[in-house]
Parts: sequence; structure tokens; C-alpha cells
Amino acid sequence: MSGMSIIIKKELKRVFGDKKLVFSMFILPAIIMIALYGLMGFAMGAMTSDIEEHENKVYIVNADDRLKAAITASEFDKNNDLTYMTESEYRAQEQKLSDEILNGDSQMIVYLDPEFEKKFTSYSAAGDAIPQLIISYNTTENYSSNTYSIFVAGTENKPGVVDAYRTMLLQERVGNLDILNVFDMQQNIIQKEEKAKSQFVAMMLPYMIIIMLFAGAMSAGVDAMAGEKERGTLASMLLSPIKRTSIASGKIIAMMILSGLSAIVYVVSMMIAMPVMSALGGENTPMAGGLGGLSLDLVQGLELGAIMLALVFLFVSIISFLAIRAKDTKAASSLISPVYIVVMVAGMLTMFMSGKDVPIYRYFIPVYGNAVAIKDICNGELLTSNFLASLAGTVLIAIVLTIGIAKSFDDEKVMFNA
Amino acid sequence: MIQINGLTKIYKLNAKKMQELKTKENTKVAVNNVSLEAKPGEIFGLLGPNGAGKTTTLRCVATLLKPTKGDIKVCGFDTKKEGQKVRDSIAFLTNEIKLDPNFSADYMFKFFGHLHGMKDEQILARQEELFGVFGINDFKNKKIEELSTGMKQKSAIAVSLVHDPKVVIFDEPTSGLDIVTARSVTDYLKYLRDQGKTVIVSTHIMSEAEKLSDRIGVIIGGQKVEEGTLSEILEKNEAADLEDAFFKLYSKYNPEK
Repeated sequence: MSGMSIIIKKELKRVFGDKKLVFSMFILPAIIMIALYGLMGFAMGAMTSDIEEHENKVYIVNADDRLKAAITASEFDKNNDLTYMTESEYRAQEQKLSDEILNGDSQMIVYLDPEFEKKFTSYSAAGDAIPQLIISYNTTENYSSNTYSIFVAGTENKPGVVDAYRTMLLQERVGNLDILNVFDMQQNIIQKEEKAKSQFVAMMLPYMIIIMLFAGAMSAGVDAMAGEKERGTLASMLLSPIKRTSIASGKIIAMMILSGLSAIVYVVSMMIAMPVMSALGGENTPMAGGLGGLSLDLVQGLELGAIMLALVFLFVSIISFLAIRAKDTKAASSLISPVYIVVMVAGMLTMFMSGKDVPIYRYFIPVYGNAVAIKDICNGELLTSNFLASLAGTVLIAIVLTIGIAKSFDDEKVMFNA
Repeated sequence: MIQINGLTKIYKLNAKKMQELKTKENTKVAVNNVSLEAKPGEIFGLLGPNGAGKTTTLRCVATLLKPTKGDIKVCGFDTKKEGQKVRDSIAFLTNEIKLDPNFSADYMFKFFGHLHGMKDEQILARQEELFGVFGINDFKNKKIEELSTGMKQKSAIAVSLVHDPKVVIFDEPTSGLDIVTARSVTDYLKYLRDQGKTVIVSTHIMSEAEKLSDRIGVIIGGQKVEEGTLSEILEKNEAADLEDAFFKLYSKYNPEK
């Protein structure tokens, strides 16, 4: 066995030989993620059904028979508490009713012009007065804004009261409504099927992969470098007759395996968590389709795997380099935190990027270039030259950092604070 | 064989350290022009107060620190140019270098055996011998973190000797040990000497140095101020015992006095 493989074996045994560590590194995050997304779905579902089922208090002033008929036709009166009022009743308590809306005690006031009928029937030419329909509601209250939108536009199965009312009045005025329809419009959508399916995933996946890989590398890396240095156990390895580069690469490969595994755990938990969330929260929950919208062929899968591997290599080497240069684990964590933020931002940049003409030099930029490449894979648009550029930039920096780590092992100031 | 020729080690101090040491100098001479030789079949005792430069000297021998000036040869290998060969020839034990607390003595022994390129059967043979001598078999499968100070030290000594090195460098090996464990360690050091190994031990315990060492070097303020057998040192300093001789030397050479 070479020195490097002995070190890899030991580093892996350190984690897998400790049930508590295995639980906290691989099992707990999965449980937390599934529970958290499930809880989010449950909360969203509960909130939606609560809003839908809530009995809303609505005042309707000066309603005529047509409006009442429109309300009945739209079944708006079924779940809501409607109070019809006359102009004088309304004016007597106008301020109080307005305060009720403000405080969330009632949801909406529908006010019809007292001269509605007169203005409607006497209208004959442009410039004539048209009647007013004033709806007062509170956009900061969920119940109120939901009542407004159902009253105006209706739901999937039922028309809105305002729509129904308007149709009635128009029919009365013009007779045949078809006369208002001057042309029919049809939509003809031309798109790549895979891009349409995976658009949301393509936006989120680079960011999620980057965050998960970095988080996995961080938990494994700080202790394996700064922790071992602090405890004096790294020095015992430096006393053995193997090359410093063997120690550095052994540790880095072991950490890559661990953080890769932890990223896989995260992805699998997310694939389980998303459907759980949508099952509890309904179809309108964000990412309800999970990662299912994404389908990759073998080459794309291999490209994604290679990019993830390069990213793990980069993250582990960045974290190890900073951790070994830091005095202790505390200092290491504070050195790594700003890097985490930079990496997050680099991953996030692709979320808001449009167009596909990213110049090739940008693919060389570590993290950012990889994120763009992952996005391209999801959209089925990654060029081989861009793929290679994104790998080269990342791997090159990671190799330089690995050499830096091996050199640090030989640096007495770093290792022994001498 | 260890040959140290004109070893000088100068540390650069940062602002924080300068403040800690209450000095305006940005360097500290930890070891100043020390030369000595430890031969096969003898125990060389390095005696000195805390901060005298003993540990720095031994770390330079073990290739963990690089000499600022001078050179060191271990079994004929230069510590600067042939570090890997030097490390293969030595056992180095010091308080600040520890075994990983997450593993057992059994695993650590095999791990370091493998790092030294040993085969499984060689490792097992060495384990049988060393675990027997230090009574480690009873707790060999317990994690290091669960062991007492004495058990940890015994395990560390056994692990450091896994590859049967020609040179044994122990920095204060009995520090923190009870009298029984300390005795087993010093007895084994004598056994190693009798096996023809070169043994170098640093200590600030006079009685230990007196009983254990064939030759003694006294370091004060980074300089070697005396070297010889116990009787030579006593005679030269007109002292009744080593403690007497040490205090005479200390009052003569202590730079702060």
C-alpha cells in the first residue's frame, strides 16, 4: 500500500468507524431536509386551505338585482358572509367599516354608484358619464386580497362576480356579445422540450450543487486539517518517512470521497423531500416536480459528474489550504466563512443570467464557470470546448492549492507556530 | 548515531509574540551554536530548564524544524537534504505530538507500521513484543481518548518504536507519569541502549538524568554549557550530585542573572 492510500483508509475509517459521526454527517442531514421540506409543504398547504375555507365578511352597498344575480351565479355567497346595505346605512358607518378592513375584521366593501342604473341606461355616446364600482380591500391581509381576486376574476371553476356582472350589462346594451369579438388569437409555442421541462431546475441546480458540495467539504475539511494540527496528531504523521505530497493528497482524496458522499445524500434527500413537500402542500408549491423535470443522457450525466468531481476537488483544496494555514479550528472557520459567501454568490449569478452567449474565457473562472456549465447541461446546450474550459480552470487552481498544502506541511511556522 | 554541528535556531517573532516575551527584538535565538554527538549503545541525557532549547534541538534532529545554521546528521543522513531517510531511522516522542484520539492503540500501531512500509507479519511481531513490555494488550482496542495519561504515553512510546529504529529520541518521556509507569519507560530505554540503539532523552528531572544517562549535555539559554559523563561533570564542577552541578552552571550561565 502506498503512503497515500494508507492515509485515505485511515481518514475514511475515522468517519465510518464512528457511528455518531456517520449519523451526524449522512443520516441527520437527510432526515432534517426531508422533515424541513415536508413541514414547509404542510405549512403552505395549511395556509392555502385556510385562506380558501375562510368565511369572509363582505359589505355590498347599493347592490342592484343584476349584481345579486351575478353573486349567486358565481356562488360568491356560498362561503362568505355578505351584508347588503343602502347608501344611507353605509354613510352612517363609513369610517367604522373602513377601520374594520384596516384591522382585518372584515375583508371587502363593494360600493356601487347610487346613480349606477341611471348612468348605465342613459349612456349613449363617448363623453357621457359612466357609473362607478368601487372595491375597498386590504392588500396586506391574505384573506382580504384573496376575497378581492375571487370577486373580480373568480376561481378555476367559477367566474368572477365582476366578470359576470359586466357580461350581463354588456349583453343588455349590445344584445349579441359576439359582435365585440373581432378576431380569435391562438398561441403556437415553439420550444425545446427538455429546456421547457428543466427550466426551473436549470436555474436552481448549479446553485444547489455548489452549496451542497461546499457544505460537505467544509464539515469534513476543517477538522481533518486544522483539528488534527490543533490536537498534535498531524505532526505524528509528518514524522513518518513518506512524502508530504502523499499526506496532502491522501487527506484531500479522503475528504473528496466524504464530501461527495454527503452531496449525494443531500441530492437524494432533496429528490425525496420535493415530492413530500408537494404532496403536503399541493401542486403550486415551488419545485413541486422535484428534480424530475431534468433528464440527462449518458454523456450529459458524465459531464455533470466530472464537473461535480472538479468542484469537490476545488472546494476541498480551498478549505484544506485555509484550514492548514489557520492557527486552530476557530480561526479556520472564520477564514472559510467569507469564501463560502463568495462561492454562494458565484453560484447564484447563473440564476439570473439570460442568453447563451457566454464567452469561453468565463468558463475558466472556477465555480462561476462550473455553474454556467451545469446550467448548460440542464438546457442541453453545453459545448465540449466550454466543458473542458470549466474543468481546466477549476482543476488547475485545485492542484496549485494541493501543492500549497504539501508545502505548508513543511513550513515550520505553519505547523509548529515556530 | 546523532551528530549535531554548530546548530543554531533563530525564530522570527511577530508583534504578538514580541509583546508576550516583552522584547523589542523581532528574533529569538532558541538554540545557539550547539554541537554534540550521541553514539550507538549509549543514552545521551539532554538536561536543562524549561525554555532552554532542548525541545527545539530535538525537533531539529527529527526534521520537524530546519536549523538556521549548522547541520545535523542522523545515521549519516543529513536532516535538511535526506529528511525522509532520517525519519525512517528515528523514533521521536514529545508531549505536543499525539496519537489520534479517535483510534485505538492497536489501529495506530498498524497504521504507523504501514506508513513505515512494514508488512503485516512484521508489524504483528513488533506489536507482540512492545505491547507485552508496556502492558498495552489490556486496553489495545480502546480509543486513545478513553485512556489515562499513563496508558496514552505507553501507547505513544510503543507506536513510535514500531519500525525498530536505530535512533530513539524521547523528549521528557516520563513527564506526567506515575512512578511505576515512569520506571517501565526508563527500563525500556536502558534495554534499547543495550540493544545498541542510539538513545537521546531530554529531561529536567535531575535524578532521572543521573540514573539513566551514560553521558549528559547541559543546555542553558540555548547554549550547551557542559557535556560529559556524570562523574566528569561532578568533578569539573566540584559538586556532590547532578542537581548541585546544575545549579552551579545555572548561576554561571543564566543570562537573566
